[in-house]
Amino acid sequence: MSEPVDTQLVPPSSVVLVSGGSRGLGLAIVTDLLDAGVRVAAFARTITPELEKLAAEHPDRVHVGSVDVTDLRAAQSFVREVEQRLGPIDGIVNNAAMGQDSLHAHTATDDIARIIETNLTAPLQLTRLVIRRMLAKGLRGRIVNITSICGQRGFPGLVAYSATKGGMDAATRSLARELGGRMLVNSVAPGFFASEMSAVLGPTQLDQIVRRTPTGHLTEPVEVTPVVRMLLREHTNINGQVIVVDGAAAI
Amino acid sequence: MHSLGCRLRRMNELSRAQIRDLMAQVLKNQDKELPADDAAQLREIGFRSLDFSELALRVEDETGEELNFDAPGLRRIATVGDVLDFLVELQHQ
Repeated sequence: MSEPVDTQLVPPSSVVLVSGGSRGLGLAIVTDLLDAGVRVAAFARTITPELEKLAAEHPDRVHVGSVDVTDLRAAQSFVREVEQRLGPIDGIVNNAAMGQDSLHAHTATDDIARIIETNLTAPLQLTRLVIRRMLAKGLRGRIVNITSICGQRGFPGLVAYSATKGGMDAATRSLARELGGRMLVNSVAPGFFASEMSAVLGPTQLDQIVRRTPTGHLTEPVEVTPVVRMLLREHTNINGQVIVVDGAAAI
Repeated sequence: MHSLGCRLRRMNELSRAQIRDLMAQVLKNQDKELPADDAAQLREIGFRSLDFSELALRVEDETGEELNFDAPGLRRIATVGDVLDFLVELQHQ
């Protein structure tokens, strides 16, 4: 920790890789970044018509691919394609993840392994892949890990999922240290969304969360995208942080 | 091999009545009684979700087969009959 301080600012990201960019929050992030003029590379297991449409609307600024985040080799060749088409990647949003909705005692061991592989191992490997290329080119950049309020608060039915999200939040802090100011590394931890992965909580649990939320509603993707964009684009000194976007539900 | 596995599982399968007995034991350990009526509400008997877990694990012990399941199915369970149906059905999966 006593290495010389690097005082050069980290510039805004200009080519951002978004994993899991085909629906939900990932798609909202891709859309928002394109609106902000950023070049975006998005992959997901399945490319949705919505992502396809964005790619058709901005052919010179979007590159999409069908890649399973756990397939490191496919991710590697996707990254190479992106660099050829859009230029060197200087921003990553680790968003791809799988949900969980089962009590730990009744979750198949294979499912636990799959959740950890998808939500923890894969984003760490993707991050490694991209930062190796950035470091080799002497680039500075930004990393945003999309985690969850589950990383810091407990919810039944989400034990393995919570472990991966807390794991990514911990990795965020250590990476921020390790990258010594060359890259800004932060987590954005949304509360539960009304849709998508939050089908993980039953309606009763979601109602309960809404009642306990001072802002009176569940988080919407459009409430998260400005925070992600800020971390990728603005000059701030925010580094190694987990920013919770949940209307103070967990406070 | 696969069909043999299926047949073995079938042989180990517990009947609805056997599962009902196990459910009565789970409740008895808490000095609660299992009503004869399948329509009895779990909330009224005091059979909670971890009691369901306990029952599922007892069924596993008897059959030697792991019973894994997602939570949404669990949330629809409201009566004694629902519990028995769920576990009978789960053994077929």
